[in-house]
Amino acid sequence: MNKILEKKSFPRWVAHLKSHTVYGPVSRGDTWHFQEVDRPEDIDLDYAQAIESPKTLIFPAKEVLFEFERTGNDSWNNRSVPIDDKPAVVFGIRPCEARALLLTDRVFGGDIRDPYYWRRRDRAALVGLACTTPPSEDCFCTSVHGSPHSSEGMDILMTDLGEFYFVEAETDRGEALIGRAADLFRPAGEAQRKTVKDIHDRARDLVKRSLPDVEAISSRLSNMFDDPIWEVEAIGCIRCGICTYLCPTCHCFDINDEITRPIPLKGQRVRTWDTCQFPDFTMHSSGHNPRPHKASRLRQRILHKFSYFKEREGVQQCTGCGRCISHCPVGIDLIEILTKVEHDG
Amino acid sequence: MTDRYEPKIVALLCKWCSSAGSDLAGVSRMQYPANVIPITVMCSGSVSPLYILSSFKQGADGVLISGCHPGDCHYIKGNYYARRRISLVKSMLEYIGLEPERFRMSWVSAAEGQKYTEIIQDFVETLQALGPQTKLRRNA
Amino acid sequence: MVTSQDLRDAVRRLMKQGKLKTLYAYRKGAGGGHAVPAFIRDAEGVEDLTWDPTCVHNLSRYLIDEKRKREKAKTPPTHPMALVVKGCDSRAINVLIQEKFVKREDLYLIGISCEHSGMADPGKVARKFAGQEISDIKFTGEDTFIVVADGKEKVVPASDLLADRCLECPANFPVVFDLLLGDKTKRNTAARYKDVEKIESLNPDQKWAFWTKALEACIRCYACRSICPMCYCDECVVDSISQGIGPDTPAEEKAQRVRWIERSPDLSETLVYHMIRTIHLAGRCIDCGECQRACPVDIPLRLLNKKMEKDAREIFQYETGFTSDQPSLVSSFRDEDPEDFIR
Repeated sequence: MNKILEKKSFPRWVAHLKSHTVYGPVSRGDTWHFQEVDRPEDIDLDYAQAIESPKTLIFPAKEVLFEFERTGNDSWNNRSVPIDDKPAVVFGIRPCEARALLLTDRVFGGDIRDPYYWRRRDRAALVGLACTTPPSEDCFCTSVHGSPHSSEGMDILMTDLGEFYFVEAETDRGEALIGRAADLFRPAGEAQRKTVKDIHDRARDLVKRSLPDVEAISSRLSNMFDDPIWEVEAIGCIRCGICTYLCPTCHCFDINDEITRPIPLKGQRVRTWDTCQFPDFTMHSSGHNPRPHKASRLRQRILHKFSYFKEREGVQQCTGCGRCISHCPVGIDLIEILTKVEHDG
Repeated sequence: MTDRYEPKIVALLCKWCSSAGSDLAGVSRMQYPANVIPITVMCSGSVSPLYILSSFKQGADGVLISGCHPGDCHYIKGNYYARRRISLVKSMLEYIGLEPERFRMSWVSAAEGQKYTEIIQDFVETLQALGPQTKLRRNA
Repeated sequence: MVTSQDLRDAVRRLMKQGKLKTLYAYRKGAGGGHAVPAFIRDAEGVEDLTWDPTCVHNLSRYLIDEKRKREKAKTPPTHPMALVVKGCDSRAINVLIQEKFVKREDLYLIGISCEHSGMADPGKVARKFAGQEISDIKFTGEDTFIVVADGKEKVVPASDLLADRCLECPANFPVVFDLLLGDKTKRNTAARYKDVEKIESLNPDQKWAFWTKALEACIRCYACRSICPMCYCDECVVDSISQGIGPDTPAEEKAQRVRWIERSPDLSETLVYHMIRTIHLAGRCIDCGECQRACPVDIPLRLLNKKMEKDAREIFQYETGFTSDQPSLVSSFRDEDPEDFIR
């Protein structure tokens, strides 16, 4: 059943969730970041787009897989590093970001489930926030099978009605969260339901950028491995990796043993983010590098998301948040490139 | 019973002067605190800033760079380069907020065993008062 | 005032004369009218070139790519490495020449003076015109900009929008060039080290609080390193993957290889990264500000590099990039170098 929550009651709802670790978008000057919040008032739902996507809460930039310590000549103490047991809730997640988690689920799930990913994923309830206006100048969710009001992957979808939030529970877990502070919620009426529908319809029209036909693009891309377009479009690339680090669906990682004490040996096996955009990403120990040029690395990023993943999983691995476009320091524009693929490809 | 905090000093000593000076202190049986981890380098000018940053990251409470007096460098000019480069490293460390007293440089000749012991004695006393270095140390 | 048309005419002329074959310059990007780096070959694409207050990028960064391309080429080059440079960018070129990374005779530099203004900071523009769609920013020939917001032109004092580095700029016209567009205008600029002095005046714990807060956000994307023209090492400290490793290197040796900075975005690692990069740039950084602009989490990187620059100038009387005919800061010394900090 749909509910209404007064905006000023939102912090009180959060305060009722002391049993949870709470995350949400927090303002830092001109930008927002998804962080753990101690005070409900720190969550800023009037926000546009967080710099890093909430993937950083499920697939953090650093994950300690286990710790090891030498205790004798041939003896070791290896121990896993548990994370907090408490259930978690993430407020303010955008439809493109929730949908992106469903896509990374396919990478970390399937026949072999990554326990580090899933222990964080399973404990986190996602309370989404529909996009009334586009959070970014560069977002394009409607072109990649998404929408500014999609509740895919969410436990609750909230829509901003001005003085109130329209709150739709999508799962039992979502219902339970609402139940924690049931007194703060009222049933939604017909008028509010209509307003929400109008807001949602209008939001789709407000999305600023678009791709002509993503399915045609994916189809074209499968024949474009040797196309000269990559050389041309990658000219400005400085292989900084910002596009992949901020992307909600990128998931490449590195694993290293980091020594914290050399004698006796003690350390951690750590998983960190990695990026196909770094020149040494594909460096072999022989010294050979199959992707030594930035053209091949740009091609990799685009083909992975719009061709290889599509072929394997039936859907593109991009949810149109636009971060790679907004934050590229040299203006490499995915939409521009893909539009050329369709027109000239 | 609590262990008294014993500061750890990483001392990068040039082989031809300062390291020899520290040896002289040893063979002369001069007493000085045993808090130093001495590392011999060929020349103070060969000390990379990474050695210094890495020492602090690994938990050194103090770092000392010691080389030949100006004019006495075995490689003629190495210590002049060190004088400039180390001053930039010192400036950087202080700017970040490391306590300035934790990073020192000295000229110690092969004959200055006594001076070496005094430098270490003074350094240990200062570091004892400052407490362990926690800012740059990797905590895990 | 230098217009985009002036630039295009000059480029066409130079290409016709055979002085250039390729060129790194700027063109308008897809959205927001913000300029992006462009590479053109022969005269194709000249009509898209732009010169405007959004041309913030330091194109000398692309000399790294060009040089690598030429090293791998099978035939010797027939044309110079050509690029458009602003005042700041040209100082970077001087450093690269001084370090023998490139030879002066292998370059063709089209210098453009910023004259009475400079580059508009995208963050300042967004804040001043919050909620409005910016489609263009133009020079006026004076110390103002024209900002086209929501379709309407608005004249704004340049000082409201100039990037911080431009407000402190010591070289608003190129100091090395083959062709100069625009006048060598002297502009009133602010004192260069106000912000550095503010931090210097704090006590160690306050400094530490400032820097930990700023650097905790670092995600170690290394964009600051990747965008810097001076970070041209084939293998950077943070990349240490191939030092001494070959096909025959035994496993024990590989396991014991030096790793100065771990991959984890722990503060301790992040601090070493930023400190070592700053120290490596002492006497080399010319404050183009690109590192700070590229940073996705707004770390005040200029404040680190400016500290080294201040030390270089005040302690060692060393000025970076105004000439290529001087030794580097750290491989030179004077008898007067201070040693009061040395016991």
